[in-house]
Amino acid sequence: MTAQEQPGGPGEVVELPAAPRATDIALNELELVYAFIYARVGNRADAEDLTQQVALKAIPRLRQGAPASAIRGYLFATARSVLGGFWSTRLGLSEAELREDLALPVPTTPPSDEGVEIVQQILAQLSDNYRRVLELRFLHGYSLKEVAAEMHSTVGAIKVMQLRALRAAARLRPLE
Amino acid sequence: MNDKPENRVDKIVAGLLRGRRLKLRGGDAEEKEAITAAARLAGMRQGPQRMHPAFRNRLARELEQAPREGWMTRRAALVAGLGLAAGAAGGYIGRAVETRPVEAAVRPIEPLNGRWIDVAALKDLTEGQGKRVTAGSVGAFVFRRGDAVTAVSSICSHLPCELWWDGRGEHLVCPCHPARFTSQGHSATSYDLPSLNPVHARVTAEGRVEVLGTE
Repeated sequence: MTAQEQPGGPGEVVELPAAPRATDIALNELELVYAFIYARVGNRADAEDLTQQVALKAIPRLRQGAPASAIRGYLFATARSVLGGFWSTRLGLSEAELREDLALPVPTTPPSDEGVEIVQQILAQLSDNYRRVLELRFLHGYSLKEVAAEMHSTVGAIKVMQLRALRAAARLRPLE
Repeated sequence: MNDKPENRVDKIVAGLLRGRRLKLRGGDAEEKEAITAAARLAGMRQGPQRMHPAFRNRLARELEQAPREGWMTRRAALVAGLGLAAGAAGGYIGRAVETRPVEAAVRPIEPLNGRWIDVAALKDLTEGQGKRVTAGSVGAFVFRRGDAVTAVSSICSHLPCELWWDGRGEHLVCPCHPARFTSQGHSATSYDLPSLNPVHARVTAEGRVEVLGTE
C-alpha cells in the first residue's frame, strides 16, 4: 500500500507511522537519566555533562536493540557510576568513602511533578529553625540577608544554621 | 574568613541557587554531606527537569554519529568517562597522577610563521605559579623554573575550554568538566586525559619572557 492510498483524500500524502528508532528510545530513557542526575547535582551544566557521559558510554548497548527496560537498567547503572566518579573527583574522595551516597534507587517510572512538595516533606522532618532556613533559601530563593531579617537573626548566625540544617537534611532517608 | 565551613557551603549554595556549576575544592570533602544535600535540594526544588532542547538535539546527533562498528573512539571513551571508571577501579583519586596518559606523544605548538612574543618580565613571575599569557593566537600558561620558564597550552586537552590556574591547589583546572592538569601539563585526575600541548617559551638576556606565538 502506498502513502497515497491511505485515507485522507486523493493525492494527499499521509505519513505512515515509523517504528521508533533506537536513538529515540534512548533519548526518552535519557530524559529520565537527566532528571535523576539533575536531582542530585542541582545544576544544568553538570547534569548535561554527566548525562552525555552516560549516553556515550551506553552507545554499544543501545546498538544491540535491547528493549527499553533493559536499556534503562543499564543506563541507570552507568549513571550511578558516573555520579560516583563526579563526586569523588569534585570532592577528592575515594568512591569507597562515597559508597552510601551511591546507593541510589533506580526509578522505574517518570518522576512526578511535585518537586516543592517532596522538598517540603523532607524538610518537615527537621527542627523548626532548620526547616525554615532551608525553606526560605531553597524554596523561596531568599538571600542570607533576607533570611536573617525574616528570622530576626544575623547573617553570620544564619550561615551557621544553614550549614547545620544541611548536615541534618543529609541524614534524612528521602534525600537518598 | 572564607575558609570557614559555613562560608564555603554558603558560597556553594549561592552558586547552586543561581544555577551555576558546582565548583568544589579538595577541602570541601569535609562537608560532603552538607554539599550533596544542598545539591539535591537545589535539584529537587523545581521538580523533575527535562533536557534543554538544544542539549537533546546535540545528544541525538552524538548518538547518531557515533561509529557504527567497534566500541568507541578514544575521544568518545574519554568523554564517556572510561577514565573515571579506571580511576574508580584504582580506588583513590589521589593516585590519579600515577595513571599513564593514553596519548603516544603530545607535540608542542609550532605555529606556522611563528613569532616570539614578549609576554612578561621574568621578575614578575612567581616560582611555580602559572601566569596566563597570550602570544597572538596562542594562549598559554607560563611557569617560572628558576631562571628558566616552561609553558603549556591554556586549552584543555579534552573539551576546548580555557583552563584557569588554581594557585592554592597548584593545578590548571578546566571549567567545563572535572579535569585538572599539573604545571607540566599532565592530567592530575582519574580522567586518563592526554597532556596539554607544550608551548615554546624562553627568557631573553634582558630578562624578558617570550612565547612562540603568532603575529
